[in-house]
Amino acid sequence: MHWHWLIIIYLFLGGLGAGAYLTSFAAEKGWLGKNSSLTRIGYYIAPFIVAIGTVLLVFDLGQGLRKPWLLIGLLSNPKSVMTWGVYILALFIVIGLIKAFLTFKNKTVPNIVTIAGAILALATGAYTGLLLAVVEAVPFWATGIMPILFVVSALSTGLSITSLLAMFIEKEKFTEGREGLAHIWLIAAELVIVAVFMGIMYFGVKGPVARESAELLVSGVYSLVFWGYFIGLGLVFPLLAFIFNQLKARKLSPAKKGHHSLLTIVSDISVIAGGFALRALIILAAIPVWESLTIY
Amino acid sequence: MDSREPVKMSRRKVIKMGVLGTAALSVGALGLTGIKSKTTSTVQAHEEGEQIGFLYDQTKCVGCRVCQAACKETNNWEEGVEWRRVLTSETRKNVFLSISCNHCENPACANVCPVGAYTKRTKDGIVIQNPDKCIGCKYCMYACPYQAPQFSDKTGRVSKCHFCYERQDRGELPACVENCPMGALKFGKISELRKTYGETAQVPGVPEPEITNPSWVIIPKE
Repeated sequence: MHWHWLIIIYLFLGGLGAGAYLTSFAAEKGWLGKNSSLTRIGYYIAPFIVAIGTVLLVFDLGQGLRKPWLLIGLLSNPKSVMTWGVYILALFIVIGLIKAFLTFKNKTVPNIVTIAGAILALATGAYTGLLLAVVEAVPFWATGIMPILFVVSALSTGLSITSLLAMFIEKEKFTEGREGLAHIWLIAAELVIVAVFMGIMYFGVKGPVARESAELLVSGVYSLVFWGYFIGLGLVFPLLAFIFNQLKARKLSPAKKGHHSLLTIVSDISVIAGGFALRALIILAAIPVWESLTIY
Repeated sequence: MDSREPVKMSRRKVIKMGVLGTAALSVGALGLTGIKSKTTSTVQAHEEGEQIGFLYDQTKCVGCRVCQAACKETNNWEEGVEWRRVLTSETRKNVFLSISCNHCENPACANVCPVGAYTKRTKDGIVIQNPDKCIGCKYCMYACPYQAPQFSDKTGRVSKCHFCYERQDRGELPACVENCPMGALKFGKISELRKTYGETAQVPGVPEPEITNPSWVIIPKE
């Protein structure tokens, strides 16, 4: 089909940035426990991650390097989900930069900015899925589950990248609150959503073409990436690892809880890689209702 | 739809066109002749004022591809695109399908295009894509069930069949219709085509018409 790696990276980074912002938002609100070290890093990286994705997208456009001034037209069709996305992403990058700058300067950030950023982050994550969900001619995409799946994956990968960077940046000061539990819930939720989504597609609820797409993942050319990379490495392994850590942490004294193991680092990387695999699989397995234009 | 509605609408339109026409004439008197001629064509087209579509008679088509060649010649296809294609049946002999854009009642391409390059004319429902606006995002290529919008790697943009709207505005036939030697391609008001030839918009292999409600009628070969 027509969309390839640049779109995949764009969708992935959109989710990753949105998730990073929401991670720090959750930490700031205290939802990740009192000791969370994630209250800043997510804000710092979010606007840049989304901006990188957006810039990459420009290279994918047929006119991105030919007549880039035509891109102003992207704002012009209020019916197009892609137009919504341009507004959402542009606003998110701006608000995200303000939030990041003020946080970095240790200034108090107006609540309205922080909350607007959170809403825009959620919208960014949902948009990356909605962009695909409205395409009826690609039955594998045309489901309301898509934005939900992408938002959950965004939160999961965002939490992972933020934790990962916080470990290295905050070093000795790094302490964990309830991040471990958040990881577990998000990955578990994603597993359930993926199961429902794949079930619907595989068992032909959305028709034979959607089934064909699902088969590419379950038993076709992408089965190794799907089962090994996405399900195994990206979901099941980190889920077990975080559960293991959680059980182990219970036995430790509170003072040692902040300790981060190699296993956590590997799990976080796994989650991020899995999130990327998800976007790649969804885009690459797209089959339109009438792909080969055959008649009988 | 209520049959009275269009009459009421058209009466209002007549008045509107009259006002517009007068205004244009007075402007035309000032020397801007271009506007005058444009208005004339609008008034002409108002007489139609209804969705038009293609009629494809599979029983007459011999797969000669003259429609394709005529389209290519008339519309100067950009490298790598085919505004009209002639498909051959995989299972039956001498069964073809000549297909271009179906100028759908609910054009998915127009809904998804972020730059608004697509417009659906109110007077005849032709879906026109302006390649000069296209940024080459290819979203429409996913949205269209018939793969009518096509991308040229050479120009980096999408283009598609526009039903030879400029020819039609001049009172000429679409190139494919005019040149089909078998009379297998025709066009007209879709309501009348459906009344006369049935409502078939799908033959085996073609996606279901519910997605976009295409404005075409096929006379299938049994």
